[in-house]
Amino acid sequence: MIIPVRCFTCGKLIGDVWEEFATRVKAGEKASEILNSLGIKRYCCRRMLLSHVEIIDEVLRFYEEAEKRKEARNYY
Amino acid sequence: MEIEVLEKDEKNMRLLIRGTNVPHVNALRRIIMTEVPCMAVDEIVMLENSSILQDEIVAHRLGLIPLKTDLDSYNLPEECPCKSEFGCNLCRVTLTLDVEAKEGTKTVYSDELKSENPEIAPVSGKIPLVKLAKEQKIRLEAYVRLGKGKNHAKWQPVSMCTYKYMPKIEISKNCDGCGKCVDICPRNVYAKTENKVEIRNLMACILCMDCVEACTQNPPPIEVSWEKDTFIFSLESSGALSPERILSEAIKILDKQLKEFESQIKVKKIEES
Repeated sequence: MIIPVRCFTCGKLIGDVWEEFATRVKAGEKASEILNSLGIKRYCCRRMLLSHVEIIDEVLRFYEEAEKRKEARNYY
Repeated sequence: MEIEVLEKDEKNMRLLIRGTNVPHVNALRRIIMTEVPCMAVDEIVMLENSSILQDEIVAHRLGLIPLKTDLDSYNLPEECPCKSEFGCNLCRVTLTLDVEAKEGTKTVYSDELKSENPEIAPVSGKIPLVKLAKEQKIRLEAYVRLGKGKNHAKWQPVSMCTYKYMPKIEISKNCDGCGKCVDICPRNVYAKTENKVEIRNLMACILCMDCVEACTQNPPPIEVSWEKDTFIFSLESSGALSPERILSEAIKILDKQLKEFESQIKVKKIEES
């Protein structure tokens, strides 16, 4: 759903680097190089970011659409 | 016992400990993981939550946030003179969160948690807690307490704490310098110079013995062993406490436990005699 705060295996804090990681991957940088530059060394922490899908963004779309519909109804 | 600092920064520390044994280093490791206290959110009063994450999930996420800990001014709840289940100013800190997404979707970050004591704050302000769609709201009060790693992993001050033997590698003169060991080593311990194999990075060796097995000569000229009384101790703090503080605190706790153990033995002896 949303990026976990810590690594499941070792407990290192990884939640705070997710957004930087995601934007840099989108910009076309190599994932391994980003992880190295962020100081994420162990493979347990690396898989947390590599395998994560931010599904909450997809779920939130339903609420955004519902909000828009409500606004439209008030408009007419 | 002799300690040498190999590497150190705000979160990581690597030590070379000479003249000790496994029980001692392991005791230190276990105390660091289970007995050194640090702060974490323990209880939450959810006043309003219209986000799409359930209360429990938000509570769990809050609990896992590492908080900068002040060990000198706060007591463990069980040792606090207030003896109250709810806690007092000496054993509890309150964090509050009050966010509403007024314009469109909003991510709530850990720096929006307002602390009663500014010194007890999340290690990083960039941890996403929840995402709110427009007009969703989250309002809560979180109570931070000191605790120990043996009760919950959120109270562990370290995300990694390990030790290994100091490797010892000997290459005898019979080596023909074929370089097979150089290629197979997963940690790049060896380096080949002309017709000789040299050790470049001894500390990186993980004693996997691949180099000995890959050697074409029989008996192999490489001998990998370890020094029985020397350890490489590495520690990675979660950010709650500095690595030096974690170590000094662990040593204090070990001393206290040993004293208690000694006094219990004495009592037992008196009972028997």
